[in-house]
Amino acid sequence: MRKFWIKIQYTKWFNITKDGLFKENPIVVAVLGICSALAVTNRVENAIAMGLAVTFVVTASSLVVSMVRKVIPARVRMITYMVIISAFVIMVQMFLEAYFPVIAAALGAYLGLIVTNCIVMGRAEAFAVKNPMKYTFFDGIANSLGYTWILIAVAIIREALAFGTILNFRVMPETWVNWTVMALAPGGFFVLGLIIWGVREWAQNFEVAAE
Amino acid sequence: MNRILKIMGFVVAMGVITSTLLIGMDVLTSERITRNEEALLQSKILDAFEIQYNTSNIYDTFTANVEKVELTIDGVDVPVYRNPDTGSISFEIEGGGVWGPIIGVLTLNEDLRTIENIGILAQQETPGLGGRIVEIPYLAKYEGVVFDPIVEVLKEGASAPNQVDAITGATSTSSAFQTILNDSYEQVIPAYQATLGGE
Repeated sequence: MRKFWIKIQYTKWFNITKDGLFKENPIVVAVLGICSALAVTNRVENAIAMGLAVTFVVTASSLVVSMVRKVIPARVRMITYMVIISAFVIMVQMFLEAYFPVIAAALGAYLGLIVTNCIVMGRAEAFAVKNPMKYTFFDGIANSLGYTWILIAVAIIREALAFGTILNFRVMPETWVNWTVMALAPGGFFVLGLIIWGVREWAQNFEVAAE
Repeated sequence: MNRILKIMGFVVAMGVITSTLLIGMDVLTSERITRNEEALLQSKILDAFEIQYNTSNIYDTFTANVEKVELTIDGVDVPVYRNPDTGSISFEIEGGGVWGPIIGVLTLNEDLRTIENIGILAQQETPGLGGRIVEIPYLAKYEGVVFDPIVEVLKEGASAPNQVDAITGATSTSSAFQTILNDSYEQVIPAYQATLGGE
């Protein structure tokens, strides 16, 4: 069993997944995609929906970029990523508007703004365009789940403090006074900042100033 | 030359494939999206008329309790919804906001001048500033405001029956909303009154 575990730790897909979720987490380490991380984390259900939408877009667009990576002419590769990403974002938007109109309304403009989420373009350029589809799949999933878990962590803290609930279940005592600031953007900044600090401290990941 | 042709071929192929996918997706979802939008409009009107409903019977409750009056204004069909029990009427209002169109539902009392309720269906105003226009507590300020002959959205000191407070920090949204309300009122109400006279 122990031997099996050690063996897994040396596989490429395991390391890709670990990097995406922790070591190179897009929000905590790269600080990408924080616009939506601040905007939709006031409720846990919104964070989950946003996380799933981004997971789908990152994974699908990375896979397609990886699939056509040998035919993309280098000069138009950025615009190619953009077209592929926008197509997937529009599809997600139509799907949510058709089947989950309440969630689509709650995410509002931020659903369409997944197009501008740096994680999507970042993974296409940094990974998908240079790697085969099987690794790209793990990279896409790992990075977007890395994004999703931070979003959910922020949302749990914000929703509990701002509304006294988590997923609309009451978790705080009845006497709890709601912290309105947590429902607003500044609350998002405070919580996200604390989480980034905490995770970096725990992972001993410090930025070294250039000489 | 060959390289340019290759790039062009790639761009065209990519365009064709993605647009086919998007058109296909649109065909699959457009019917449901239209139905959801209709249900949203109907639920806002039922809210305004204070008629009880639940998510599964919006359509039936709506057709059973609300009368539809079709008006034609400048060749465009404008439906006005009427509550036969109270005589209040609802109609869609639409106009330009700061970043995109604001679409809502305006409900007037049976005197056709006093606002009973305003609901917002779609808007793209600045989140946290103009975006607060969707908030129920803000819209509640419009209850009882009278078109005399117009509604005024003021930065401060709303006191007369036709005045209402603007959203702090959202001057453009507030003045756009004032224009939308008054323009829609001026357009729909005379036409509606004309149909009443004809009966």
